[in-house]
Amino acid sequence: MIITESCVGCTRCVPYCPAGAISLGKDKKAHIDRHKCIECAVCFNNAGCPVNSFQLEELEFPRSVREVFATVYKAHKDTNVPGRGTEEMKTNDVTGRFRPGMVGFSCDMGRPGVGLELKDAEKLCMALAKHGVEFEPLNPLTSLMSDKKTGKLRDDVLGERVHSCIPEFTINEERFPEVLEALKEVSKEINTVFSLGLCVKINEDGSVPIMKYLDDNKIPYYPGGKTNIGIGVPLAKF
Amino acid sequence: MTHTLHRSGTQESLSRDYPILVIAAQSVNAKDSGPQFKKALEIILKHNPVNVGDMRTGNYFRKGLKPVLNNTKDNSIAHGVFTNKKDLEECLKELADAKLGPSVVATGLFSEVWDSLKKIGLKPHSVNISLGVWGKKELLPDQEILDITTMCGHHCVSPLLVKKMVSDVKRDKTSIEEASRELAKPCVCGVFNTLRAEKLLENLINRS
Repeated sequence: MIITESCVGCTRCVPYCPAGAISLGKDKKAHIDRHKCIECAVCFNNAGCPVNSFQLEELEFPRSVREVFATVYKAHKDTNVPGRGTEEMKTNDVTGRFRPGMVGFSCDMGRPGVGLELKDAEKLCMALAKHGVEFEPLNPLTSLMSDKKTGKLRDDVLGERVHSCIPEFTINEERFPEVLEALKEVSKEINTVFSLGLCVKINEDGSVPIMKYLDDNKIPYYPGGKTNIGIGVPLAKF
Repeated sequence: MTHTLHRSGTQESLSRDYPILVIAAQSVNAKDSGPQFKKALEIILKHNPVNVGDMRTGNYFRKGLKPVLNNTKDNSIAHGVFTNKKDLEECLKELADAKLGPSVVATGLFSEVWDSLKKIGLKPHSVNISLGVWGKKELLPDQEILDITTMCGHHCVSPLLVKKMVSDVKRDKTSIEEASRELAKPCVCGVFNTLRAEKLLENLINRS
């Protein structure tokens, strides 16, 4: 994203930037901090610039990675899914991706509202890979890995700043405490935040597999979340 | 893409916040599903949503209703936001009866959503649970701001814009209702709950 010379310095756009990348310069025109900018186009689409000063750029790799992780309405080329590119449990009733006895993890890195450099995503992925987790292949972050076994990302994307990305993987339920501990440790080493989500198939008797462990170990979780209501067609066989 | 999972707030505030989404699985039932999303949105609209949208097109407040309804695609993700259980229940019941094909996910307090499902004869299939925020939490905006901005899970609603809206309402430059609608515009999916945002803005204004 760039702001052209036509800017009149009204500052209308400044508060719209979710990354806080726009400010008024000494020349009384708005400027975008190229390092902070996550290429989400929120300014372009919503700020209502009175002189149409914003201009979309044709981004080249690796900067184009920023747009991939920030532009919600575009579908990802590898998964055909808009947003940040994964379906996770939303379609579990028809895909059967999260089966009984399995726990899906989604580490929503940079969220809420902090952002991250991809080197922090690599740090988290490499820490998890040491515990043998396998990253979801249909996820845009996994496609940036040069080594999916170690969680190493391509060197040329490590300095790119993104709004958020989601390391995503599934493990057997019995390994849940070990992986949670690994996440706790790596959370002390990263220069950002992540919102942690767990996906599970609900038992036939209506109980939720992982909740008892969370309750017994006093691990806090939000009282609300997402429930797949099981009306997709055709239903997966479990 | 856990865009309605990590909504923060008090139980009381979250008890007026029920976004739903309709999505097809690209590997199973997405082919030719585009028209089904239009039907889903039409059903959602019958039950008093405060916001609707399609991730491929945008939300009602920025795009208007017709573009959202008329541009559904096989990889659409349709959304609606309800502010009470009755509307949620009636909408989910109608979606279930319509047997459209795509999956339906309801977000909200588990106790309330599951109670609603029971009332309409459905059982929860899978859940997505939030263990909250981990890591360098000192980088986060204030909690009162987050309770508003996390209603856009992709975090396209800027904390600075919330502060600007609070300031504008205080100076009579806009109304709380208008401020809430302005905040809803950057949330492409249409999952920003404008009614809840009004209450949260009111709290912020009264406290500042």
